[in-house]
Amino acid sequence: MDEFMGVLQRPDFIGNLILHIEYTVLATVLGILIAIPVAVLVHRSNAGSTIAINVGNIGRAVPSLAVLALMFPVFGLGFDSALFALTLLAVPPILINAVVGLRQVSPQILDSAKGMGLSGLQVLTGIQVPIAAPIIFAGIRTSAVLIVASVTLATFIGGGGLGDYIVEGYQRNSTAIALAGALAVAVLAVITEATFAGLQRAFTPKGLRIAQKRGRATK
Amino acid sequence: MIEFEGVSKTYAGSDRPVVNDLTFNIKDGEICVLVGPSGCGKTTSMRMVNRLIEPSEGRILIDGEPNTSMSGTQLRRKIGYAIQQIGLFPHRSIADNIATVPNLLGWDKDRTNGRVDELMDLVGLPPDQYRGRYPAELSGGQQQRIGVARALAADPPIMLMDEPFGAVDPITRDRLQNEFLHIQENIKKTIVFVTHDIDEAIKMGDKIAILKEGGILAQYDTPENVLVNPASEFVQSFVGGDRVLKRLSLTRVGDVELEPPTGNGHDLPRILEEWSLRDALSEIIGAGADRGVVVQNGDSNGSSSGTITLDSIREISHGAGTPRG
Repeated sequence: MDEFMGVLQRPDFIGNLILHIEYTVLATVLGILIAIPVAVLVHRSNAGSTIAINVGNIGRAVPSLAVLALMFPVFGLGFDSALFALTLLAVPPILINAVVGLRQVSPQILDSAKGMGLSGLQVLTGIQVPIAAPIIFAGIRTSAVLIVASVTLATFIGGGGLGDYIVEGYQRNSTAIALAGALAVAVLAVITEATFAGLQRAFTPKGLRIAQKRGRATK
Repeated sequence: MIEFEGVSKTYAGSDRPVVNDLTFNIKDGEICVLVGPSGCGKTTSMRMVNRLIEPSEGRILIDGEPNTSMSGTQLRRKIGYAIQQIGLFPHRSIADNIATVPNLLGWDKDRTNGRVDELMDLVGLPPDQYRGRYPAELSGGQQQRIGVARALAADPPIMLMDEPFGAVDPITRDRLQNEFLHIQENIKKTIVFVTHDIDEAIKMGDKIAILKEGGILAQYDTPENVLVNPASEFVQSFVGGDRVLKRLSLTRVGDVELEPPTGNGHDLPRILEEWSLRDALSEIIGAGADRGVVVQNGDSNGSSSGTITLDSIREISHGAGTPRG
């Protein structure tokens, strides 16, 4: 117990916690900035969407550690390498959900929007994105939680973060130290999950929430 | 006026046109129904008016101007558009849905709100009750009403309607059709109305354009003339074997000359003035009578304006030149 508390009271603990959060936020934001524009570009094309979804699925199947390992020859050890690898991990769930979300808006809704004189951009921003918002947010939520967990691996390429304590715990054969790091990550993951669940709900337009509750097909 | 001038559409990669050399005019204030079997190009023809589809050949003039004289987006904001699946935006309130085009046109808030309320009243959904609701909270019939209100929002002189009453049960459809005809009496829009249902075409159309497969115009005429003088075997079979009955459905009992009431008529069937001759015929035959007492409303002791006989119906069905109600 003392060892456990000792970790939490170490001067570098707060720094690693903040770094862990920093990785998560940056990787998720970069993931959004990459995945959403790609989804917007490809979703109208069947071939483009299929490629994007398949690349996304392959991306999800690649183990996190392998992605990290592949990066360090390119960027060397440390922050950049870890962030790049984490961003690559963040992209697939957001990309897949954004493509699926934008594509599942019914052709009738798009047709009536266009038929009333909305421009292509107005259809995208005013109709498709709001209707797809819950699905897009579910993707971001998946990514964020995935990243929180994966940042623990950054330690292997000298990236720091809460993974340091887990590895240290193993090396020093101290469950308490490893547990301190692991629990902190778990708490972060739960907070992330809850935050994004709230955001997802907040970004679901009221009309869609009613539709979901009523089980009506409005997509 | 909308003028189709030699309009054809052939999709890339196909050698057969879906719309073939279409030439006809739609007069201001008229409902022109495009009707025909699937694959006859009726929807394609309609969608070329607001350039959701561009013709391969020919052109479409609106009030003398080619519809290509402005951008497609600008053009579409000036033409009402209502479709079968309604296409209401599920994430927007009813009021916001109706306000779509006024907002695109940059109307100020008061004007838009006033117009939304006016339209909601027009289609029979009280604004104080429905303004803030969402499409998912409305029945199919109510959604269709909102779809029509939305298409009318910026008061466009022209409306395009693709089976706008298609997604509801027959009873609701009948009511929506009647309501819309009633609204049209006042607003006098120029309407291109697409349906596959000949009965709806006869009921709704001032003119009917019957298209056959390959997008060829088989006949363009009033419902009356289409029924009395089908231009071809195709039209005759499309109109159906009951075209005499269909023709009777065009005339309201109240619009024909009645015979004076005879006796007390207690054992005769009651016919409402607003019924069609077809309904009257059905009622009289069903009651095993040769005439019916015409009354002004459903009230059984409502005053009788006369009697209608099987003979008079038969005479009208022979084409004695009754004006269309």
